[in-house]
Amino acid sequence: MTELAVDTRELENVVLLYPRGFLNAHTVRLFETEMQKALDRRRYNIVVSCGGLKYIASAGLGALMGVIEEVRTNGGDIRIAELNETVRNIFEILGFNHLYRIFPSEVDAILSFRGGGEAGPKGA
Amino acid sequence: MSPRRAARPALVLRVPSRTEFLAVVRDVTRRMAELAGFDRGQAEQLALAVDEASTNVIEHAYSGAQDRAFELRFSDRGGELRIDVVDDGLTVDPRTVPKVDLARYASERRTGGLGVHLMGRIMDSVTFSRAARRNVCCMVKRKPAAGEQRP
Repeated sequence: MTELAVDTRELENVVLLYPRGFLNAHTVRLFETEMQKALDRRRYNIVVSCGGLKYIASAGLGALMGVIEEVRTNGGDIRIAELNETVRNIFEILGFNHLYRIFPSEVDAILSFRGGGEAGPKGA
Repeated sequence: MSPRRAARPALVLRVPSRTEFLAVVRDVTRRMAELAGFDRGQAEQLALAVDEASTNVIEHAYSGAQDRAFELRFSDRGGELRIDVVDDGLTVDPRTVPKVDLARYASERRTGGLGVHLMGRIMDSVTFSRAARRNVCCMVKRKPAAGEQRP
């Protein structure tokens, strides 16, 4: 059984990552690799669309944390969309909802980049 | 005899030190938590805490070695569920685990310590000790009183 799959697509100036399944210490390398591919191409407007993400452990949260400074330094941001209740609870336990802008829908997250948008959670 | 108050025999599980077994750790923990009377959401969180403790053993106590094993011990103690994670690897002093400061973490590209922080937020108590040359991470979660809402 594949525990995690990560699809990627680009829409205008936004890279969308779709992690599906379980993101933890066993699977985090795949997620980090897909994230790094976007950064290597200097794509810094990133939406992580989590509709298919069933579970996230600290390894996955650490992967987001490990690149956020580079992304924001380059004028971009990582924005989160479509969290299920389980994953949202984990984000909130760690206070990630104060560090990342979280949107109910992927479309809202994509549109948030149209205005340039400030980094961080304000205005979400 | 109320199943909420009855102490059940402990379940002991020996787990190879490979991250592919974390899925088994989660599944067993979730099931044991539900058997102990926790609701689905709480059981999911307990599974996360035990996943984190197991990941710490694999990555730190065993430094990623895949030929070791650790034990999970689940004890339904009536009013609480106790889960011990026991390994015979390197002792990691929990006092050396950095306190989580998200803003500093982001600026310093640090990611360590999140797991222990999560464990502490989910469980009512998390203690680390060393006994008989083994490391013991003891996590306890009290059961909600009947009718009590989860926070």
